[in-house]
Amino acid sequence: MSQLNESEIRRIAELAVRQLQGQATPANVEKVVREAISRMAPKGEASSAVNPERMKNVPFSAPAKGARIILTAFGTNSIGILAGLTAELAALKCDIVDLSQKIMQDFFTIMILVDSSNSDVPYEEIRERMARVGETFNLKVIVQHEDIFKTMHRV
Amino acid sequence: MRIELPEILETIRMTEVEHFDIRTVTMGINLKDCISDSLPKLKNNIYEKLMRTAAEHVATAEKVEAQYGISIANKRISVTPIALVGDGYYAEDFVEIAAVLDKAADNLGVDYLGGFSALVQKGFSKGDLSLIRAIPEALTSTKHVCASVNVATTKAGINMDAVYLMGKIIKETAEKSADADGVGCAKLVVFANAPEDNPFIAGAFHGISEPDVVVNVGISGPGVILRAVKEAWHTDFPTLADHIRRMAFKITRAGEFVGRKVAELQNIPYGIVDISLAPTPMPGDSIADILKAMGLEDVGAPGTTAALALLNDAVKRGGLMASSHVGGMSGAFIPVSEDQGMISAARAGHITLEKMEAMTSVCSVGIDMVAVPGDTRAESIAGLIADECAIGVSNNKTTAVRIIPVPGKGIGEEADYGGLLGIAPIMPLSKIDNSHFIHRGGRIPAPVKGINN
Repeated sequence: MSQLNESEIRRIAELAVRQLQGQATPANVEKVVREAISRMAPKGEASSAVNPERMKNVPFSAPAKGARIILTAFGTNSIGILAGLTAELAALKCDIVDLSQKIMQDFFTIMILVDSSNSDVPYEEIRERMARVGETFNLKVIVQHEDIFKTMHRV
Repeated sequence: MRIELPEILETIRMTEVEHFDIRTVTMGINLKDCISDSLPKLKNNIYEKLMRTAAEHVATAEKVEAQYGISIANKRISVTPIALVGDGYYAEDFVEIAAVLDKAADNLGVDYLGGFSALVQKGFSKGDLSLIRAIPEALTSTKHVCASVNVATTKAGINMDAVYLMGKIIKETAEKSADADGVGCAKLVVFANAPEDNPFIAGAFHGISEPDVVVNVGISGPGVILRAVKEAWHTDFPTLADHIRRMAFKITRAGEFVGRKVAELQNIPYGIVDISLAPTPMPGDSIADILKAMGLEDVGAPGTTAALALLNDAVKRGGLMASSHVGGMSGAFIPVSEDQGMISAARAGHITLEKMEAMTSVCSVGIDMVAVPGDTRAESIAGLIADECAIGVSNNKTTAVRIIPVPGKGIGEEADYGGLLGIAPIMPLSKIDNSHFIHRGGRIPAPVKGINN
């Protein structure tokens, strides 16, 4: 991605003013600057470091390829919890990579490592839908990207 | 790389039970390019730049929170010291500039904006003086704007004219907001050796050597450190320090990671992580409780300073390993009103301003969110500021004073500010006369330590 910041844009603009000399009307300058930027930036990408237009298009939530999510759920045990969670994951086209479950005196804990790279559902929706499944079983469901655990627990 | 179940459960416990969060993700914004010789134009430039630059700041931070399941308590903004941006204008103009900053903060959805600031360690420019004179009105008439004034550095010494002036400004600010127990003073910090990349309010400003825009992060996590200390109850000091160090590593890594993500998604540079432990008035989120868990009956007991020194150093060791850019204050905060344990120690009379002054030498800032009687003289406040500055200047560290002379209240009473600012029991400040010393004027020369080339 191109990384033109404001000072670079200003520099280009000053250059354009100098080149245009007598004909440096705002419209002309803008045209020259636009051309200069489009030469520098790959097509379709806006440029400024602080351009609100570009920010609107920031793909915050698009899961990167191979994105792995860790789902943790805990609460009182009841019949069908595992089936409920995994059925919803399957519906979301999320692949279960690893799963670990424990029941301690009616207290149910589960950790599921999920590969969401084949899912076309945005991350926020996965999070919301899994939380809703949790609610039906009275479970607290927490969905987090795997990277936070790697960051915190590995040097 | 396989992530183990206990690691996942620990993370969940930290966020769900122990209040672990990222205290603040602060976007620093340069306003030097807004300078204009026309006040309406200057105001417009500032507003436009803030709205343009920080438009997605809150939304981005919220996305990152959701994605990684780590909550970010505050999304904030710091700006170039306004005395610099508005140099040449009069005090009433600075009040108008503060109103513009307030409006922008409101529309951007941030709770506080820092940078209504002046750096006067060596002397005042016209703009510095105007800004300082505007502080009482600016802080009373706005909701989100925070002010700070740096009055001393190790290189320049202590500007005692500024120290005395700030004593008077603090009094005036308290009186202007008398109906709310002088809450204006909660948004005003007097610094020695102020850091330029501090993400923590109220002292945050965007230093003049910083890039155009930057994201700085302040970690939190007294709750998780408290657990680490409790688990080390039966151990000796090296083991205790080791427990703290390991936990500090984890929380700093989380802070650094979250900060980098917020910066990356907005395509702006990531600055530093400030590894200060910052309490809140919530139960379990207290620095004082950590000191108590080390084996003190209460904060203020002999040994408190040593305990705080151990805590501070162990946090730094873990934090430095976890992040390549540590900056800001990076020490433990010990605000009185914002820390449940400090509040109860102050109520019981266990902690005094003199003990806090000693603790300053081994912590982040020092006299923070302390309420004193409303009839405290400006000279006494100035003397306290001078003492704190002396510690900072002589030890080459940041120190600060955020003090509230609560109008109409005295010892035994309390000021309740609610929310993050908490409850401040009014503490006694010595009334022994110091006026001749404070009135001398001029600058206390820089210590020999500052001449280190």
